[in-house]
Amino acid sequence: MSGDTTSAGRVEVRIVDGAIGAEALPAVGPGDGAVLVFEGVVRGTEDGRSIEGLVYAAYEPMAQRQLEAIATGLLDSLEITSVRVVHSRGLVPVGGVSLRCVVTAPHRRAALEAMDRLIDGLKRDVPIWKSVR
Amino acid sequence: MQVRVLLFGDEARKAGAEHVVVELRDGAVAADVRPAVERACPALAGSIDHVRVARNCAYARGDEAIGRGDELALIGLVSGG
Repeated sequence: MSGDTTSAGRVEVRIVDGAIGAEALPAVGPGDGAVLVFEGVVRGTEDGRSIEGLVYAAYEPMAQRQLEAIATGLLDSLEITSVRVVHSRGLVPVGGVSLRCVVTAPHRRAALEAMDRLIDGLKRDVPIWKSVR
Repeated sequence: MQVRVLLFGDEARKAGAEHVVVELRDGAVAADVRPAVERACPALAGSIDHVRVARNCAYARGDEAIGRGDELALIGLVSGG
């Protein structure tokens, strides 16, 4: 677990064992008007076949660094105030949360744009792999 | 110099290993890593053109110098989320 505070805002990145449990939302500041949460949930089918779950593996030092870099880049380029990313490692059963991203911002448009770019960046550049169980 | 290259995902499965040790000339750059891996691990030959090279936990430019003690990795198609 690690967090990184920048002058532009706040970044928190964690890679955790198994499904991601419920947790409190990040604190909002007086200027925040939007808290956007995205959860990725393991579907019950993969390529049309029923599965037990997905197993995630990561090159963790690089995954952590890449996620922090993506989040920091968003804080530097968009009017948002914080980014939290939590990703699973290991088995996540069907229905479990494997990814949770939270963005806070003064306004929804910046939060939505940041979330889109965050997830695109994760799926393109962050060394995490899943396999079916 | 001998350098260890970490493998993940499909590349690790194809190689049957989580790393491969490759021989690089002094003055080698990141673009030299993939051919060296293919020489050291024929199971990966012809299948890693799309794979990116990471040096010390960051994607490396092709002309980036490789030094002794660097942590190298091949990063294939990722599938997090």
